[in-house]
Amino acid sequence: MKTVIAILLVCPVLAQLPTAPAPTTTAAPAITTGSGDAASPVPSNEPVLTGWIDLGYRWQTGVGGSLDTYRSIINLGSGPKFLGADFTLTDPRHKWFDTIQVRADSWGDEPSSIVHLEAKKSGLYDFNGDYRDFAYFNFLPSYADPLLSQGIVLDEQSFDTRRKIAALSLNIRPGNWWSPYLGWDHDSSSGTGAAVFVTDGNSYPVPNTLRDSTNLFRAGVKLEKPRFHVTLEEGGTIFKSGQSLFQSPGSVNFGNFSEPVLGQTLDLTNLLAAYGISGSSAYSKGLLTANPTAWLDIYGQFFYSQPNSNVHYQQTDAGSLYLQSQILFYSSEQEMVTAASEQPHTSGSFGAEIRLKRLRIVESWLTDRLHDAGASASAQTLMLAGTSIPLSSLLATTLASNYNQEAADIFFDVTSRITVRGGYRYVWGDASYAFLPAEGLASSAQEQLRQNIGVGAVTFRPSQKISVTGEVQAASSSGVYFRTSLYNYQKMRAQARYQPLQSLSIAVDFTVLNNQNPLSGANYEYSALQESLSFYWAPRGKIFDIQGSYSRSDLKSNIGYLEPEDLSPQISRYRDNSHTATTLFDLAWPHGKRFAPKLSAGGSFFISSGSQPTSYYQPTARLSVPLSKSATWFSEWRYYGYGDVFLLYQGFRTHLVTTGVRFTR
Amino acid sequence: MIRWRVVVLGFAMAAVAPSPAAAQTLPAGYAGSETCKVCHEDIYNAFARSPHHRVEVDAQRGWQGRACESCHGAAQAHTEGPTAANILVPAKLAAAAADKICLTCHLNQPTQAGRLESSHAQNQISCTACHKVHASQPLAVRKAEATNKLCASCHLNVWAQFQRPFHHKLPEEAMSCVDCHNPHGSIRPAMLQSFAANEPGCFACHGDKRGPFSFEHAPVRLEGCQACHEPHGSANPRMLIRANVRFVCLECHANLPAVPSRVAGVVPPSFHDLRSPVYQNCTVCHQKIHGSHVDRNLLK
Repeated sequence: MKTVIAILLVCPVLAQLPTAPAPTTTAAPAITTGSGDAASPVPSNEPVLTGWIDLGYRWQTGVGGSLDTYRSIINLGSGPKFLGADFTLTDPRHKWFDTIQVRADSWGDEPSSIVHLEAKKSGLYDFNGDYRDFAYFNFLPSYADPLLSQGIVLDEQSFDTRRKIAALSLNIRPGNWWSPYLGWDHDSSSGTGAAVFVTDGNSYPVPNTLRDSTNLFRAGVKLEKPRFHVTLEEGGTIFKSGQSLFQSPGSVNFGNFSEPVLGQTLDLTNLLAAYGISGSSAYSKGLLTANPTAWLDIYGQFFYSQPNSNVHYQQTDAGSLYLQSQILFYSSEQEMVTAASEQPHTSGSFGAEIRLKRLRIVESWLTDRLHDAGASASAQTLMLAGTSIPLSSLLATTLASNYNQEAADIFFDVTSRITVRGGYRYVWGDASYAFLPAEGLASSAQEQLRQNIGVGAVTFRPSQKISVTGEVQAASSSGVYFRTSLYNYQKMRAQARYQPLQSLSIAVDFTVLNNQNPLSGANYEYSALQESLSFYWAPRGKIFDIQGSYSRSDLKSNIGYLEPEDLSPQISRYRDNSHTATTLFDLAWPHGKRFAPKLSAGGSFFISSGSQPTSYYQPTARLSVPLSKSATWFSEWRYYGYGDVFLLYQGFRTHLVTTGVRFTR
Repeated sequence: MIRWRVVVLGFAMAAVAPSPAAAQTLPAGYAGSETCKVCHEDIYNAFARSPHHRVEVDAQRGWQGRACESCHGAAQAHTEGPTAANILVPAKLAAAAADKICLTCHLNQPTQAGRLESSHAQNQISCTACHKVHASQPLAVRKAEATNKLCASCHLNVWAQFQRPFHHKLPEEAMSCVDCHNPHGSIRPAMLQSFAANEPGCFACHGDKRGPFSFEHAPVRLEGCQACHEPHGSANPRMLIRANVRFVCLECHANLPAVPSRVAGVVPPSFHDLRSPVYQNCTVCHQKIHGSHVDRNLLK
């Protein structure tokens, strides 16, 4: 027996003796999108096309309460739906591509539709395409509705638009030491809405149309060597926007103010206002990393951009109109405005990380400099009984901001399980703005930013199952830009993760931020506390798993302000005390059977009290049953319920049921 | 009997050890990936489908045939007496030490240029907290749902904010955290993505708010969108930081016009009677609150 074992063991050893040099090439691994990492990498017998597609139908049971609010928040409708797909095309010969991967989600009159395409060939190219189509409907009855007290429900800042976002990028020779790349990004929006046309004596809600588009083109090259890397990129944008406000001739719009002015009722009987906006920008970008020695890494970034805008605005309106500054009533008006602006913007950062044995020192410097300059020329003609009054103005504006930050951090590994960090950050800068010629309330101002920030942190990881991180920041300021800016603040964050069992993991997160601005008149007191706990339990050998989270947040803000009418000091108090929970329960039954149905149930709830007491419930359940090897039937129920204690008419509730089939290949 | 076990183990190791031809190419102390596969076949197979497998087959990278040891260190001793003590396991190392292994290859890449500004690096969040080194897919091509789930596993408070009624469409899986944030670090605060080099990443989708404007609203440029909005989610319409629009404005616009102040923002003129519904939402009239091309008071 021992002899047999010895022979069996010797054979494979002898089998390794070389008879000829082994080929050094290794077959390229098959790349698939399967989530199972343990699957065999053998490519030869894998199907060329793999993936799934979900087709179904959704029923909405009707919206109880405010349909406008429902559409502003959820906006899911009934009908046949292309719910999603994920396909991978693999070419075993690797001729034109290695893989083409396509993902799509939520098509068929859905509020957000997405398609993503990725094609790659190792060492030759890597192409990514992404397209999203968002339906952006916003008509909250209580928002911007000054006529609500008169029984007129009209959100004067509502819109019903579609925003389309696309991004294409092509990396050539990915993974090689020099790799050029190209990119195109597109963002556009169009639709209709309600807006307000403002004149001196009144403001008139009118319909408007909106459209804008931005195209960004970029090209660059990445140079990656073992000791350093440089990326250089040049790009530019083209922007176009048009908006028009209109009111048909013959109709009478009495506006938001119904009270007569000096005994005369104001109205608008005709309006055409149109914006023609074009803009462009060119930008440069440079990135650097290097490790000149084993103990030193250096990092650098440089950005420069210079966007500009050119605007032509035309306005023609008629009615019973009023010019307050001259106590003048007029019957029609024409105005033309030409404006231009540009904004050179330079940013950069540079830093180094020095690694000693158990000590790391990180030093970094950052600057951001933005100088905006604009000019506007307007020519206006007011017409009243037989005469016309020309008015014109020329305004120039500037806004300049210089921001700087210098930071130093020291990291020390006390043991292999404890790392402590101490740091200091100094932030300074200045901002100024001015209008020329000086007129009106505030024509120029200059503010300074000065902040000293100390940081302390500790990371403790006694084992792979436990980790605790804590960080404390404290800042003292002698100058900030705004009353609500972070001034003298203390920020603390603690986070712990614990895995008591292989099947159970728990995480807790605690954040607190206190900010005080003692500036006279402001006396700003702000505190925000957030506590969260989450768990995931997937007992081994059981047919279920469950995960959940609970968060509580408490926000308090007190700040003084002046009542505009009489300049009396007041206090703005804002409170938000909220509870949020999410859960997801998965049940796969019966366990171990090939065609096992799966049930998922969970959802989230949010309830808050304070300045905006709100409740928002989103329970959901989903059942999927495999019908065959390549088809799975699924059905999903969702409930959405939104309530606002102060604005009961703005709440809604609805049920959505979706059923469909997933076809898998 | 013990002697026979030693013999069997010795032959078994010899059987899986690299062939003499391969062994000639392996530096001293290295065992080769094929040897690792004998005990860690599942990891090896997953690795073979991962982008990192290039290290195994690309001679230029210097680790051909021993990719496992490029991270786990020379493993000859481990193959001779497999214990956890004689193999390098990055997951057990301090974050900085684990990152150092990753950065051996990945430091000199564009993704790392903002590393010093990254709060992840500052807070000892190692690369392996997000990136599964042996996994078959790079993180970047994951679906939004998977990316969001990963981020939410640490940022519990932030994910809770997305459950509020007014939010960006992350729970709907139409967006992911990395649409707005660059987890490797960015020159912008809160690791925000950039648009057109150094402009806020928000403008990638909200191009109509980008400008530049002849009449800027200073907080938009100096403090960013979050001066007025809760980008993760809010109980207030338009994701505003206050329930009533007028308080968003009046908390800053509270300086007396003729009195020099150390902060920006002047109180509105006295005709703004807050008892009137028209004045309770400032943006009814000041519609171009993000900046105007034609009107100094941001009315049109």
